[in-house]
Amino acid sequence: MDWREVAVTISAEGEEIVADLFYQLGCPGVSVDDPEILRGYIESGSWDFHDFGEVEATGTIVIKGYFPEDNELSAKVQRLDQGIRDLLERFPNWVVQVKGISLKEEDWATAWKAYFKPARIGKRFLIKPSWEHVNPAPEDIILELDPGMAFGTGTHPTTTLCLKTLENIVKPGQKVFDLGTGSGILAIAAAKLGAEVEAVDLDSVAVRVAQENVDLNHVSDKVRVSRGDLGTVLRGQAQVVIANIIADVILMLLEDLKRILSPEGEFLASGIIEHRASDVEEGMKKAGLEILERVEDSGWILFRARWAN
Amino acid sequence: MAKKVIGLVKLAITAGKATPAPPVGPALGQHGVNIMAFCKEYNERTKDQAGLIIPVEITVYEDRSFTFITKTPPASVLLKKMTNINSGSSEPNRKKVATIPKSKVREIADIKMKDLNAASIEAAMRMVEGTARSMGIDVVEG
Repeated sequence: MDWREVAVTISAEGEEIVADLFYQLGCPGVSVDDPEILRGYIESGSWDFHDFGEVEATGTIVIKGYFPEDNELSAKVQRLDQGIRDLLERFPNWVVQVKGISLKEEDWATAWKAYFKPARIGKRFLIKPSWEHVNPAPEDIILELDPGMAFGTGTHPTTTLCLKTLENIVKPGQKVFDLGTGSGILAIAAAKLGAEVEAVDLDSVAVRVAQENVDLNHVSDKVRVSRGDLGTVLRGQAQVVIANIIADVILMLLEDLKRILSPEGEFLASGIIEHRASDVEEGMKKAGLEILERVEDSGWILFRARWAN
Repeated sequence: MAKKVIGLVKLAITAGKATPAPPVGPALGQHGVNIMAFCKEYNERTKDQAGLIIPVEITVYEDRSFTFITKTPPASVLLKKMTNINSGSSEPNRKKVATIPKSKVREIADIKMKDLNAASIEAAMRMVEGTARSMGIDVVEG
């Protein structure tokens, strides 16, 4: 079955009334494109980085509803048009534009999977979504991960930088702390390299998703996932501490590093955008760390460091 | 992790009943989001409000992972529910379709308060009353 997408551009105050017209005609919902919401998110500062430039205040929003292209379509579109004409009589200064396009039926339930393919990271890691089959070499380490509600599907440069470094430094039996674990991918990778891992995140959804991924990868005996910050959750010291977060958070947690990173241990700081790298480098040196390595991928930096002397 | 946002999607859909069909499929599919995971999570979080329209704002990150927040139902939806009507009036000034007591308006304003840009409950009530009038619902004392 194909669909007719009807997009109504209207003054922002008309949102509920126009959405209601769609509901009356049997639409189970609508999508709303509202620049003010986007602006609200950007101005709130809750996003680390984003791709949106200046958001233009148009005063209008676009509401999209969808009708099946069946024999009731033309009657529904006519009723919608009539409803909008009535609205314009009541609110003559509202801006209105209506556009319809035909939309081919797609298998939306599975089409998104095309974006996720197995990926080889470093020498041994092979990341794959659960629905893909791979033929691994004997030395390959499979990380099975389905994209979802926690960051870290494995192909982002900040994650791949960490995976490549972990592969070189983690030894069986070592203790590893993963701060801001997200999807749990780095914790799982470290466990598959033989480490005992404590993974923490402040976000309860990430903790739940990380635990699911830990179970999916059969490393629940080697990874403990907890919610909280490092001050309240982590006990003892680790030989490897990973923080794949962002520059400001890394700078904040340097203070606590003395307590959790063993004297001979190594610290991996990732998720650092290029223009903040010098701030983090300086902060790490001030905290008593010596930078062993600086690696870069697509504008993202990872520092590997240990205690100086 | 350092999360770069590549998309923001707002949907107003029925609580507990999200499916990959439109509007969810086309809106999220263009960003490569795991649609089944979204539907499952949305339905779980909204199951106690089944039947109501619960708007949701979905943030999509560079690696196509996502988060979302749900909002309170639109005032018009709450007004229809409280007054037991299916639709507002086509001529709200002349043709009234229902009445609602002020106490019920206050209840709606209470629910909507966290999403409305209102300084006080009275200001929120005035916004709800405005929506009621635009639907041909008379607000009465009580």
